[in-house]
Formats: sequence, C-alpha cells, structure tokens
Amino acid sequence: MEQEAAETARESLELVFRMSNILDTGLDRHTLSVLIALCDLGLNPEALAAVVKELRQESGNNHGSRLR
Amino acid sequence: MKKGEERVMEEEDDQQKAADLVHELVLRLLSQNPQTPTPDPTSPSFLKTLRYAHRILRSRLTPSVSPDASAIAESLKRRLATHGRSSDALAFADLYAKFSSKTGPGSVNNKWSLLYLLRIVSEDRQSAVTGLDSSLLLPNLNLGDEPVSSSSSSLGRNKKSNNGVLLVSKDPENLRDVAFREYASLIKEESEVTEEVLVRDVLYACQGIDGKYVKFNSEIDGYAVVDYVKVPRGTRTMVRMLSELGWLFKKVKSFVSESMDRFPGEHVGTVGQAFCAALQDELSDYYKLLAVLEAQGMNPIPLVSESATSSCYLSLRRLSVWFAEPMVKMRLMAVLVDKCKVLRGGAMAGAIHLHAQHGDPLVHEFMMSLLRCVCSPLFEMVRSWVLEGELEDTFGEFFVVGQPVKVDLLWREGYKLHHGMLPSFISPSLAQRILRTGKSINFLRVCCDDHGWAGAASEAAAASGTTTRRGGLGYGETDALEHLVAEAAKRIDKHLLDVLYTRYKFKEHCLAIKRYLLLGQGDFVQYLMDIVGPKLSEPANNISSFELAGFLEAAIRASNAQYDDRDMLDRLKVKMMPHGSGDRGWDVFSLEYEARAPLDTVFTESVLSKYLRVFNFLWKLKRVEHALIGIWKTMKPNCITSNSFAKLQASVKLQLLSALRRCQVLWNEMNHFVTNFQYYIMFEVLEVSWCNFSKEMEAAKDLDDLLAAHEKYLNFIVGKSLLGEQSQTIRKSLFVLFELILRFRSHADRLYEGIYELQIRTKEPGRERNKTQESSSWINEGRKAITQRAGEFLQSMSQDMDSIAKEYTTSLDAFLSLLPLQQSVDLKFLFFRLDFTEFYSRLHSKGKES
Repeated sequence: MEQEAAETARESLELVFRMSNILDTGLDRHTLSVLIALCDLGLNPEALAAVVKELRQESGNNHGSRLR
Repeated sequence: MKKGEERVMEEEDDQQKAADLVHELVLRLLSQNPQTPTPDPTSPSFLKTLRYAHRILRSRLTPSVSPDASAIAESLKRRLATHGRSSDALAFADLYAKFSSKTGPGSVNNKWSLLYLLRIVSEDRQSAVTGLDSSLLLPNLNLGDEPVSSSSSSLGRNKKSNNGVLLVSKDPENLRDVAFREYASLIKEESEVTEEVLVRDVLYACQGIDGKYVKFNSEIDGYAVVDYVKVPRGTRTMVRMLSELGWLFKKVKSFVSESMDRFPGEHVGTVGQAFCAALQDELSDYYKLLAVLEAQGMNPIPLVSESATSSCYLSLRRLSVWFAEPMVKMRLMAVLVDKCKVLRGGAMAGAIHLHAQHGDPLVHEFMMSLLRCVCSPLFEMVRSWVLEGELEDTFGEFFVVGQPVKVDLLWREGYKLHHGMLPSFISPSLAQRILRTGKSINFLRVCCDDHGWAGAASEAAAASGTTTRRGGLGYGETDALEHLVAEAAKRIDKHLLDVLYTRYKFKEHCLAIKRYLLLGQGDFVQYLMDIVGPKLSEPANNISSFELAGFLEAAIRASNAQYDDRDMLDRLKVKMMPHGSGDRGWDVFSLEYEARAPLDTVFTESVLSKYLRVFNFLWKLKRVEHALIGIWKTMKPNCITSNSFAKLQASVKLQLLSALRRCQVLWNEMNHFVTNFQYYIMFEVLEVSWCNFSKEMEAAKDLDDLLAAHEKYLNFIVGKSLLGEQSQTIRKSLFVLFELILRFRSHADRLYEGIYELQIRTKEPGRERNKTQESSSWINEGRKAITQRAGEFLQSMSQDMDSIAKEYTTSLDAFLSLLPLQQSVDLKFLFFRLDFTEFYSRLHSKGKES
C-alpha cells in the first residue's frame, strides 16, 4: 500500500514535471515537489506563483533559460 | 485577512509544515541564483527574503478564480495551440489526462491549484522573456469588490517599494490604468446593485418569476428594475429589453397551460393540442438554456491573458447575446399564440403557415418544425379520409364536413368543404379532389354497397409510396400529399364509375329513359298514343291511373319494348299529375322512371322533374302529330267521297269542294310545320345531345364529371326544346299553334262527319229517321232543305276554318318572327327549314308593307 502510494506520487510528480516543461516554467523537480506539497496544504496558488516570481527576480535577473 | 490568520493559527500542525516547506522553497529558489549558489539559511538577507515570502503568501489567502482544473487545462492547451505549438498542446492534453486520472493515496489532491500555479508561473516567465508590458493592453474592468489588481509588469516595477506590498502604480506612465479605475469606481457609485445580482434577477424574470430587484410592473406591462434601486439608466433599459423574454414566456406558458386545462371539456381540438405540444417542446428547450446559463452564470470567465481577476461569466451584455435567438423564437411563439387563441383546426394550421413564409432561415426552420407537429393530425385526417373514407374529426377541425343526410343526397350534400378550416397550403383544387375522393369511398360504401374500393385504396397508397399506416405524411410534403390524393382519386373514381356502369348499368338506364321518357322508341309511343288517346280525352277525374298502367303494359307488350330488360321496364310508371276540375286526361298524364339507389344520385327529383317537363312537351307534340295524322286518315281524298259529291247540287258541291280544299291547304301547312318541328326536336336536339352525352360519359373520370355531363345533357335538351326560361314567349306562341291545330282537328272531324252524313242523306234519304237532332231536321224539311242545311253547315264550317286559318297564320307568323331571336343556332336552321321557299318571310314583309 505504502509502496503503491509512493509509486503514484512519483508518477504524478513526473507528469507534473513534464507539463511544467511544456509550459516552460523553469522549475526543477525538487521545487515542484515542494510546490505540490504547499498546494495540497491549501495555500493560494496565486501567492505561491508570486513568491516564485519575486524570489527569482530577487536572485538576479536571470530568467533561467539555463535552468533546464 | 485577520480571520484567515486565525484560521491558520488554529491549524498549527499544518502551519508548521507549511513554514518548513516555504523555507525549503525559498532555499531552492535562491539556490538557483548563480551568484549565490549556496545561500546561507541563517544570513539576514535570507531571513529577509523568507519574511518577504511569508508576507506575500499571507496577503492573498483565497484565489480569485473558481476551482476548475479542466477549464484551466483547456485554456492552457488552447494557448499552446494558438502559439503554434500544436504538438505540445497535444502532449500537454495527454499528460493532463493521465494526471487527472491519478487518484487515491500518493496522488496530488489539489490538482487545480497546482495547474493554476503552473500557468501563472509560465505566464510570468513568458511576459518577462518577451518583455511584453501588459499594462499597455486594456486591463479588465472590474466592478467587483476587489480593487483592480496590478498587472505583472507593474509588480516588477514596484518591487523596490516597501517590501513587496503590492501597490498600484500611480506614475504618469499608467494614466490609462488610472482612468479606467476611476471610471469603474464611478459606475460603482452610481449603482447600488452589482451586475451579478441583476443578471440573476433577469434570469428569474425570464422564467416569469419576480427577482429581488427586477419585478413585474403592471403599469408598463413588463419586467423592470424597481424604482427605489439606483442603477444607471443604460442598465435599466438593458434589463427591460432582456426581460421582454420573460413577458413573452409568460404569455406562451399561460396559453399552453390554459389549453391543456381546457382540453377534455372544451373543444381545443387535436391540432390545438399538437400546437401546445410543439410549444411545450420549445419551452423545455428554453428551460434547458436558462438552466445552463444559471449554472454557468456565476462562474468567472476562464481568462488566459489576464492573471488575477475576471468578472462573472455572465454580464447583462453577454446575456443579451445569449438571448438573441430565444428572443426571436419566443416572439414568434407569442405572435402565434395571439393569432391562434380563437382559431381551431385547419384554420389554426393555416394561420401558422402564413407566418412560415419568412426569409430568415432561423425563423423558417423553426416554423417548419412547429408546423410539422401542428399539421400532423390534419394530415392524418386527410390520409384516412382519402384512403379509408373515414372522417375522424371529433372536434370539427377538418376542412371536410359531413352531414347526416338521406342516402340519395349523400353525394351532393353529404359532405362539404369548410372553407374556414382549409389551411392555405392546400390549394382549393386539391381540397376539392380530397373531398371527392373520400366522398367517392363513402358513396361506394353506403349507396353502392361495394367493398372493392379497399383494394383500390391500398393500391393507390402503394403507388404513391406511402403506406396505409398512420403518420405517413407531414407538413412541407405537399407534393407527396398531392401525389397520394391524385393516385387515390384516380383509382377510386375509376372504380366508382366501373361499379356504376357495369353493376348498376347507368348507361342502359339513361338509354331507357331516352327511349321511354323522351319518346325515342317510336313504335311504343305510337301504340301508346293509339290506345291511350281516347281515354285521355275524358275529364281527368274520370281516369284511373291503374287503367292507364294497364294501357302502358299493353303498349310495352305490343311494341319492341318487350324485348328490353325487365328491370328497366318495371321502373317505367304512369304518373297522374295533380289536376283541377277542368283538366282533361291529356293534361295530367305522364310517364316517369323510377330511379333507385345509387342512381338516384344522378336522377334526383329535380332532374326527374326536368325529364317530366320534357316528356310533357314531347307528348304534346306527339299528340298534335297524332292528331294531324288522324285527320289525314279521314280527309285523304278517295273515290268514295269524290263519287258521292257528284250527286250534289252544283252550288253545294262548289262550296263543299272549296271547304275541303281550304282544309287540305291548312292541313298541309300545319303538317309542314309539325313535321319539321318534330324533326328538329328528334334529330337536332335529342339525338345530338345523346351523342355528346355518350362521348362525355366515356370520357368522365369521376362521378362529378358524370353528373356534370348528365346535367349538361338535360339542360341542353331543355334549352333547345324551348323549355328554358328565356324562351317563354316563343313557347307560348308554340302552344297557341298546338292549340289551333287541335282545334283544327276537331273542326275537320266535324266537317267530315257532316260530309259523311250528307252522303248518307243523299244516298238513302229518309231511311234513318232517328239520327241526330240535326239530321232529323234535315229529313223533315226535305231534300231542298237538306241542301240548304248543307250549304249553311258548310258555310259556317268554312267560316270557322277561315278564322282558324287566319289565327294560325298570325300565330305562325309570330312564332317565326320569334325564331331568329333565339340564341341557339339550330333554331335558325329550323327557321330555314320551315321557310325554305321564303313563303313566310315574303308574306311577313308584305304584311308589314300593307
């Protein structure tokens, strides 16, 4: 059971990662997993998006086309 | 916000977890910075960033869009597709499908928010990469409670200002933004009610229910925003316009429910019911639309390009677009409902049909589908009427109306077209054909006791491609209907005529009538005249019709008529007309022909009375002819008479001869007239019209044709025989002539009787003493006296003869002068025939000159 859940979680993360790549969000797997967890906790996705954007800008105007 | 904070505090566990996650997130994001690859989690700058992140997260606790993962996925996919990345769009759709199918433990619970997050992040990056300043685009005008949120680039511009608190920029670059905001607040001030509420109220109003602010106002007869609420005038007008739909809906709805309520008791009729059902169908479509609008109305518009807020899906303007089509339909229905309130049946269908003649394809199509429903009962009636002859019309809606009549009137009066119920898409000629076909079936069934029509009907149905089942026809298939009617009419009419001709021997009966009533059978008439003549000279009340019937039977047996069909001879009857005191047998005697069903449809009473008139006329003519022949028999010059004259005195002899001569001349003249007149009647009237009638009888396609042909035949005879209305004067003069001829006959008879007496007297004087008073007086006075008596007698006779001749000449002159005035050409020929030596015309002109 536990194993199955982990499997599903892994697959979901993979799917989300691929979707995110198609959408060109520039987020890596780790960041995505953190975001998924935060979303599941019920945080406002708009706010999360704002955080992502702000912190990226904070850390220099590198828009991470290299980040892939 | 405070409330949100408290709630967060309560869920401390979650809170702790979230804080850890945020910490991790900040760490991850910062670590991506190439300048500070490994940030120090304890450094003040890191803590500051963390605080900043927390502040941002706290600032918006609820998302501004409704949670709908699939809508977001759809919009993402569409955006990819419009950006020319269709393969990516497909891949994305595929991934999303897999993603959304993952459920249960370990899967992502909050799918939509994750997707939403991805979308915003992606959009942010995109706009940052392309450097697109979306503040140059029109921001969404928001009338909602939230202030207009800043666009993404203004966020970027304001990042230096106090710790990331999102402030709307007020720099001059953003003037347009400011203007829009001001406008929005202006509108908000003006209206106390938000648009969503009004939209909901309009949706209610469209179902005929009063909303909170939009209520039915009986003064203006419509829905409107109540007066005490302040809304801009434009909105007020818009609401009124939109809620017209509600007014129309109420009208249609009330009609439908009223009709349904009334149905079993009062006569709404099947067409009315069909109409109601069709309306009900349309209304349920309308309900569906309203339900969808209501459900979707409160959802926000899934926006693609604008990040934060979007207003509710339905605005009054959007509603007006949605309502455009239902409004057209509802208006039409309301108009129809108004029109049809008082109408029923075919009239209703016709009225609706008039509205279907519309150029707009939407209206046209709508009306067609409506009419198809409405007309189906009507077409069903036509079908069963044409193929089965049944009038299934309990509510009096069909354009054929049946009346209970006697069997012999069934064809002529049993069924009528009801023009009020004839819908205009059925042409009058088609209606006539429909009427006749069903009538033919009923006629066959009731009058002819025939069942062969069923085969003809099913044959017709097969030929026209429809089945004899129900519901084969519909509105708009007028061609098919016409075809069906034509096929059915052709076969059934043919069958009907076949039955009439072969089984009921229509033709033979007509011939029999011609032979006996129109005196076509010469020997029979001659014999009848011979034996019945003496009897008819008696006063009418001395004659019994049984006696005459005996004479008739004798005449039949003595003539060739005996070989005729017994059935027909049995129908020939003597008829005594009602007579007054002075009438003689000649005036009341006539023959009649008894018509039985179904032929009494053709030979109705009025037709038979016409035949009777013709018969009486011909009989009179025949009698005159007979009289003339009778005189000829007695006055034929022979040696007996001429011998006996030799013994007379010269003066008496001269007198006698001149009287005889005058008599002969007059007889000749009369005979010339009567012979020619009879020739005219027999050969130019009766035979010609019979010939035409036979031809038309062959060509007749249906019973109406046959009736018309017979009518024509009879009218032709009546008209040509000078029995018509317009030949009254000439008929009178003709009868005067007949009268004179008959008078001449009795005078001639007396003359010859006298001559005969004289002969006896001169041969055997004094032998017969007890003769008549006259002759005995002659005896008494002796031979001389006899001569004197004879002279006197002859003188008075010749005087009478002179007066008759004179009267006859003037009457004939009058008759001949009337002849050319008649309209018919044939009478002119008669005139030529009578006046072939121009004797009369010369006499006439001479008389005029003198």
